[in-house]
Amino acid sequence: MGNKQSIFTAQQLDAYQVVKCFCRLSRLFYRYRDLAPQLVPLDYTKQPDVKLPYELIGSMPELKDNPFRQRIAEVFSEDGEGNMSLDDFLDMFSVLSEMAPRDLKAYYAFKIYDFNNDDFICKSDLEKTLNKLTRSELTEDEVKMVCEKVMDEADLDNDGRLSLEDFQHMIVRAPDFLSTFHIRI
Amino acid sequence: MTSFLNRQDSYQEYDYFPGDAYPGDHHSLRLRRLSSGRSIHNIPHYNPSLSDGGDSEDDNQGQPRELRSLPRHMAIKKAKLKSRGIQVPVLSKAEMWKQDKLKKLQKLQNKAREILFFLALWGKTLQKIGGNFGGGVQSYFLFLRFLVILNFVSFLLMAGFVIIPSLVFRQVGVSFMNSNSTGEEICTVYEPNPPGLVVFYDYFLNLLSGTGFMEYSFMFYGYYNNTMVEDRNFSYKIPLAYLFTAIFYFAFCLICIVTRMGSAARVAVATGGSTAVNYSMIVFTGWDYGCLGDTATKLKQKNLLYRLQVDLEEERLKKHAASLTLLQKFGLHSLRLLMFLLVLGLNIAAFFGIFYATRYSQAQQNQSAGIQALFYEYLPSVVISAGNFLVPLLCDQIAKVERYSPSITVIVALLRAVVLRFVSLGVLLFTLWDQITCKGKINDLKCMLCGYNYESYPCWETRVGQEMYKLTLFDLLINIALLVLVEFPRRMVVDNWSSKISQLVGRQEFVVSSSVLGLVYSQTVVWTGALFCPLLPLINTVKFVILFYCKKITLFSNCRPPQKTFRSTTSAFFFLVVLLLGWMLASVVLIYSIAVIRPSLGCGPFRFSDNMWSVVPKSLYSLPLVTQEFLFFLGSQAFTIPLFSLSSLVMFYVIALFSIYGKSVRLLRQQLKGESRDKQFLVKQIGELSQ
Repeated sequence: MGNKQSIFTAQQLDAYQVVKCFCRLSRLFYRYRDLAPQLVPLDYTKQPDVKLPYELIGSMPELKDNPFRQRIAEVFSEDGEGNMSLDDFLDMFSVLSEMAPRDLKAYYAFKIYDFNNDDFICKSDLEKTLNKLTRSELTEDEVKMVCEKVMDEADLDNDGRLSLEDFQHMIVRAPDFLSTFHIRI
Repeated sequence: MTSFLNRQDSYQEYDYFPGDAYPGDHHSLRLRRLSSGRSIHNIPHYNPSLSDGGDSEDDNQGQPRELRSLPRHMAIKKAKLKSRGIQVPVLSKAEMWKQDKLKKLQKLQNKAREILFFLALWGKTLQKIGGNFGGGVQSYFLFLRFLVILNFVSFLLMAGFVIIPSLVFRQVGVSFMNSNSTGEEICTVYEPNPPGLVVFYDYFLNLLSGTGFMEYSFMFYGYYNNTMVEDRNFSYKIPLAYLFTAIFYFAFCLICIVTRMGSAARVAVATGGSTAVNYSMIVFTGWDYGCLGDTATKLKQKNLLYRLQVDLEEERLKKHAASLTLLQKFGLHSLRLLMFLLVLGLNIAAFFGIFYATRYSQAQQNQSAGIQALFYEYLPSVVISAGNFLVPLLCDQIAKVERYSPSITVIVALLRAVVLRFVSLGVLLFTLWDQITCKGKINDLKCMLCGYNYESYPCWETRVGQEMYKLTLFDLLINIALLVLVEFPRRMVVDNWSSKISQLVGRQEFVVSSSVLGLVYSQTVVWTGALFCPLLPLINTVKFVILFYCKKITLFSNCRPPQKTFRSTTSAFFFLVVLLLGWMLASVVLIYSIAVIRPSLGCGPFRFSDNMWSVVPKSLYSLPLVTQEFLFFLGSQAFTIPLFSLSSLVMFYVIALFSIYGKSVRLLRQQLKGESRDKQFLVKQIGELSQ
């Protein structure tokens, strides 16, 4: 499926292998290119500055039905709007692959659920998460009860919102986090 | 505390860039982009001390790993590498070679992992199932795959040590072990192939019931002889091999199950009990990012909705139950007791049905022929299957009266089904034992001569093997029949005929727990019958493979995934616990057959012994004296009692350790909460003091 040497220089390959290498580089590159073949050049040796808009990323079969796809794209993109370069794309799938360490995944999961980007998961973030998880089919009372229970369980410093440490301490106790926070590509 | 300080640092850093005044991720990203050449200290919120890290390894290899685990942007990672590349001192040739080899090794490991995944049996299929139907259904298929592999390896064991040597020695025609005839001549009469014309359809009937041409074949115990081969340095005794292979087969299965349980249990202990209701777990880790497709996503969302609603409902019920008056509580408990007695009555009725059916079928077997004989042969299997189908249905209706909370209802239903299945198998075996040993009374008229009922059972082991074979086959036939006659028509009716009834009934739901119970039951039957029918593991392997494909077809064509699932009942640990129970039942049968019952005098490798185990001491006499003494010592009380006390000691120690770890986890959690409260208090104090 093409020669890796013609797309990246040897130095670039090495750099990718060292810094990323949780997924197969060539397979991911071709997936990225398939989204917009006319925008993405085959030759990355000059490090072209190509960004694919969010609509293309969100239309990938692995992401298009995920209720959190917008947040995922926003978190991993540089500009925070969902427009991803190849680096962002590789970053995203490497964190979501099965070989990424737990703390890395927890960090990014926290950022995904933090809708207002204030580095805390507050009650409104929780409510938005719940609504995305259940298609807004819980009644308001139920949503409030669940949010209260979550805060009770996870908020260790009792400031009414979850910080990254609270989140990570909760994730440590979750046995299947690694397998659910995982996109197969 | 350190991460708190880090955050302070990074906030301070923002002050250096006057144009960008608002905090948050966008800002930090831009910051990272601009500061590509800067030092390492602008770490945003990430605490490297919490990382899993491979920091104990060689430093040069640890560095690239560290870079990978840090959540920084790609550009800055590459820039960092460049800067580090400049700073790293020139390596000697040997070290460069070592680094190169390490890199190649890592690449090889990754490649090997990929190939292993590709080669794993049905790997892609399982992935597809998991993506479309969720983890619960996938766990059933994973369990099925585990059983297929277990059975296949067991068959290889049996083949290698019993079947192939038997085959070889039979061809070679080695001397038979003569012995003094113990007992009357009439006991040694065994004619599985009566002379005379055989009707053509008899072959088919024989295939289904294990009689006729199949009876005196490698399938069953009766075909094997107590041949013994002795060469200069090589001696092989079939009876010994047969016995030890059976025992090793059981031990091997036990080890496999326990190892698999170990990994599941470790996770459960570390998380302090995963079955406890945990809202934060559901909200943050409930979503499966690997879910593909619109329908699967909607289903997962419904699933989560249902779980949350059920948990909230349980809370409400708990509050309600706590608020009941004493009289109401008494009423509820007496109602539950009544229902329990009713369920017990139903079960006992089922067991008596099996008992009488088996007795009747055994009595009729020697007197009828043709299709009628087949019907009588399969009567116990039919009654067992009918019982296993009807009684849980009735219990479900009864459970509605009992008004337990939803999760307890499911667990109680499952326990009842498990007990029903195992006890019905036990009743069948008990009935057989009853018939074979004349209710255990050796002095009874029929059993006095040979020690067992030789009239009806000239070769009782083969008969038991045949019963197990019939159960296995019937199970497979019922599954296929259900698939063809019930599930496909149901789907066609529901899809093509839109009416209220079809909407009410809906598409078939794939119920994981009862399917798993079916698997455990089949495996228990195989374990029970393996001593008497060495080819049964192979038959079971083929059966499970067929079942896998059948269930897969029905899953993708006919079923909608279960909307109401409980994690505790779909967990691998639960399946393995039930499997272990089945193993214990089978091992009781094994131990009893080996140690107590008198083997048939007319057939089999043990026909000249008082019981199957006695070939072992006899054969020990041919070993050198020292080994003999050592082995006898191992079997004596002087060894086993200290061993028993030592292992109890070790067990108590491990239990104590386990409870201590649980306590320390709880203490640490409380300490954590206390520390964060301290932190808040100090921050408040600082605020107050600075005012």
